[in-house]
Amino acid sequence: MNSFEPKIIAFLCNWCSYECADSVGRAQKEYPSNLRVVRVMCSGRVDPQFVIKAFKEDAEGIMILGCHAGECHYKEGNYQALRRYILLKKMLAQFGIEGGRLRLHWVSASEGDKFVTIVSEMVRDLKKLGPLLLRDMER
Amino acid sequence: MERPKIALYWCSSCGGCEESVLDLSENILKITESADIVFWPVALDTKYEEVNRMKDGEIAACLINGSIRMDEHEYMAQLLRKKSRIVIAHGSCAYIGGIYGLANFYKREECLNRAYKEVPSVKNPEGILPQAQSRDGEVEIELSGFHDLVKPLNHVIEVDYYIPGCPPNPENVFEAIMSVLQNRTLPKGNVFADQKALCATCSRRDTKPEKAVIKEIKRLHEWQWDPEKCFLAQDMICLGPATRGGCGERCIKANMPCRGCYGPTENIIDQGGKFLSALASIIDSKDKREIEKIADSILDMGGLFYRYCLPSSLLEKKVKSLSS
Amino acid sequence: MKDEKIRIGVYICECGPNIKEAMDVNEIAEFIRGFENVVLTKPFHLLCSEEGKTLIEKDIKEYQLTNIVLAACSPKEHEITFRKVLRNAGLNPFLLQIANIREQCAWVIKDKALATQKAKAMIAAAVKRVAYHEPLETKEIQCHSDVLVVGAGVAGISAALTLAQKNRKVYLVEKLPCIGGKVARYEKVFPSLECASCVLDPLLDEVLHNEHIELIAFSEIEEVLGFYGNFIVKVRKKARFVDSTTCIGCGACSEVCPVKIKNEYNEGLDNRKAIYIPYPGALPHVAVIDGKHCLHLQGKECNACQDACPFGSIRYEDTDQIQELEVGAIVLATGFDVFDPKKVSRYGYGKIKNVYTSLEFERLLNSTGPTEGKILLKNGQPPKRIGLIHCVGSRTKKYHEYCSGICCMYSLKFSHLIKEQLPDSSITEFYSDFCLPGRESQSFFKKLADKKGVNFIQVKNIDSVELKKKDNTILVKYRDINGKIKGRSFDLVILSVALEAARNARELAEIFDISQDKDGFFLEEHTNIAPVSTSVGGIFIAGCAHGPKDIQGAVAEGQAAAGRILSKLIPGEKLSLEPITAEVDEDLCSGCKTCISLCPYKALTYDQKKKTVSVNEVLCRGCGICVATCPGAAIKARHFTDKQIVAEIKGLLQR
Repeated sequence: MNSFEPKIIAFLCNWCSYECADSVGRAQKEYPSNLRVVRVMCSGRVDPQFVIKAFKEDAEGIMILGCHAGECHYKEGNYQALRRYILLKKMLAQFGIEGGRLRLHWVSASEGDKFVTIVSEMVRDLKKLGPLLLRDMER
Repeated sequence: MERPKIALYWCSSCGGCEESVLDLSENILKITESADIVFWPVALDTKYEEVNRMKDGEIAACLINGSIRMDEHEYMAQLLRKKSRIVIAHGSCAYIGGIYGLANFYKREECLNRAYKEVPSVKNPEGILPQAQSRDGEVEIELSGFHDLVKPLNHVIEVDYYIPGCPPNPENVFEAIMSVLQNRTLPKGNVFADQKALCATCSRRDTKPEKAVIKEIKRLHEWQWDPEKCFLAQDMICLGPATRGGCGERCIKANMPCRGCYGPTENIIDQGGKFLSALASIIDSKDKREIEKIADSILDMGGLFYRYCLPSSLLEKKVKSLSS
Repeated sequence: MKDEKIRIGVYICECGPNIKEAMDVNEIAEFIRGFENVVLTKPFHLLCSEEGKTLIEKDIKEYQLTNIVLAACSPKEHEITFRKVLRNAGLNPFLLQIANIREQCAWVIKDKALATQKAKAMIAAAVKRVAYHEPLETKEIQCHSDVLVVGAGVAGISAALTLAQKNRKVYLVEKLPCIGGKVARYEKVFPSLECASCVLDPLLDEVLHNEHIELIAFSEIEEVLGFYGNFIVKVRKKARFVDSTTCIGCGACSEVCPVKIKNEYNEGLDNRKAIYIPYPGALPHVAVIDGKHCLHLQGKECNACQDACPFGSIRYEDTDQIQELEVGAIVLATGFDVFDPKKVSRYGYGKIKNVYTSLEFERLLNSTGPTEGKILLKNGQPPKRIGLIHCVGSRTKKYHEYCSGICCMYSLKFSHLIKEQLPDSSITEFYSDFCLPGRESQSFFKKLADKKGVNFIQVKNIDSVELKKKDNTILVKYRDINGKIKGRSFDLVILSVALEAARNARELAEIFDISQDKDGFFLEEHTNIAPVSTSVGGIFIAGCAHGPKDIQGAVAEGQAAAGRILSKLIPGEKLSLEPITAEVDEDLCSGCKTCISLCPYKALTYDQKKKTVSVNEVLCRGCGICVATCPGAAIKARHFTDKQIVAEIKGLLQR
């Protein structure tokens, strides 16, 4: 179990959280290598289908990072992300996918430390949850 | 020239798809004018052995309905694949898993226990469950094995065309059979239904406002449904926007919302996920708690959004994780 | 997806030692070489160097590369640079994908093996994604270069004059019959204490005489259609009932008019007639009839003004006219209103005599005002003791939480001007905090504080201030900084009221389809880097319509808005559109309309005939909200398609 390294797909919005990830890089702050980033223009572009697809492709956790309330580059795309996230999380529970595997956070471009904390915490929690056994239960 | 042969078979099926063939009414004569139905367990007493004896590719078109859950289904699907030039998945179960597919939210044991032990009308004090192999005195009994999961037809064999629907619209069935009999070339994977979602042909479309927002989700028994107004505009979940049209809006005409039996349109990756996205988008709140409350008012989201398509969806089933 | 026609070139930038030392570049290159559609994999020491760019360009031609993947720094750093390289080599610039292995890998993972592993996944994702990239065209549209400026206060005027300087046709629409906004009604302005009309009048004059500016006064915007470069605006020109081409503003009409009404231009402190000139010196200096109160227009027998007019300028038969304008951009400089202190009974405003709002006091100070600039009490005597209350309606949870920013300065200005006129008077300013930023404010304060008879009292909480009538004076009760209740008597009290969003701000926001902040001010596109543009392309905001500010700030915004327009909307030049937009597949769109109301830019419309939705590419900014929403998957996000993102996810998770 100790050697288990979860893979996290993170959808980062171009204007805040992607910029934040870049600035964390420029500041050379270390964070776990488990994060795999998909850049989207807005967290409102994140289709629940992508989240489900990423689980299907063996991601153990998914993170959606968007702009803070009122700071969305496209006015209210982050609220769309919030609505979809809430419904999706609830539905995924029915599929046996624990709530801790899908997270949504608001991260502005300047919140590098918050970004590092969020990633580190998710990796820590996913290590406890273990892998998602999607291939199990098949005959 | 030899008359083309047609076969029909049912796997895990309720018989509704067979009805869709009967509902062809006079059109069935147009089919039998030029073709012979050589295998159809619901109507003809043809043995499996006779199918076995057929030459490979002897059957022009085989329509298979029902989902795959037992050894027998899988065996027959494979046999008919070999004997048929064209295989058509007939109805939602064969196409996308169908309503039986919801069993994938449960383990095999849970299903069997429920059906053979827990249902109030069952008396089974010894708790006997069906076995593939068993013995009754001297006699060795072999039954078809019951699989862990429900699958759509194309998870076990290659499928040429699809007819969606629970049950399918007879017009789609007729068109599918005739397309084979008339040697029409269609792209592999062709779906005999509309390309657009149901709203395109829905008589209630124009009653849907450009800004439809939802503050609460109502359920069927809770409301007097306006028979002419878009269900979503009445806060009722209707899967029409994420479901192929072509069904003839039979449910809508009976004042029932669409539950998605015609499956997703072609670019949809996951019908349930896609519908969830659309529904979430029109929730009229920015407040986390309020959205959660609205989400809580949607009972059995998975069962609702994947009503007919769970086995063919991305996740297919309830997932096991080490923590569970 | 294996495709013979796709020939991908992968370049791994070592970024000097930055990437090279953090991971095993050769191992990565080896790994990528085996990938589908990849025909070339090259590590290189610095791709953004001239040498690197030349290499890519040469390779594209030599190996007939169709798609390029760069593993390098953030796309935010050099995506534009390398898109140019592709274009130079004859490839569409969007056939490029950058794997950000510097900021998001090399610099954040210390373990070399882990960094190598992550970089492999990132590049694999880019390779898989780029195979689905499609060439995108930057489209251009014809546009109008004329500009509409709404509001002829200092902000609007500054915008109009800046635009006109570059010979740009400007329609300047003002809802009042005269221009100059609130500033035109001030006596002096801070911090120089210059005479307001000395500052403003030359500008107003220029507006009236500039051949490029068409002033449409006494008019309101009814409807706005279209988009950046192509707006169609309907303007309602209200009936003036006076021929403005022949009226010279002699005032003979007002003298004979029998109707008296409260004069809103003097904040209701005196009366005007039904035919009137707003105030002496109002520009344009032309009379106007108030149709609601004019006896003739109300159907009564009165032709007094028509009989008195020496120029035959009265036109009782005038009606409202609709003028349609075609413009490319719009500046909204519609100003503000002030907080109504009647909402707070503690101030006794409207009940206690000689309690004025700051705007009323401006008129008392003004030589064209009701007292011709003399500070007088209602009884005609000059006041001896004057109190000023700061933050009336500002910085309080109950009304406006924001600081109006200029009240401290104008209160100090009042004290300066009072001291000038009544040197023996005693002045007390009640404040909770002073807001005096900027170069000149502190010395402005200091100069006043040094004067005799000027007191500053810090109160514990501005909401603790209460005004009471006591004999013939006004008692100001307050809690001092130590929480003790105290009181002082005054002859006259000025309430420094908050600036708030104009009363018609909501209506305007709806007409122009722009957003408002929670206080009703128009919302900018981005607080820091796009402060005068809005979420609607081609609509700009300036002045106090955008939030409280001083004259300097308002003028700067007017000029900034004009500058933004001059730099993008150029006569004869086409407007380039964002290539990354949404695209509706009409063969799949069922017309369910779910997407329409979700578009932040109103770029989606429902075609009643076709029964499908279409995207206006001029308005679309490519956020992709509609794409994720579309239940039928009929909308595509260019450059962020479902296929591209799914391919990327698969690549990232490849084992």
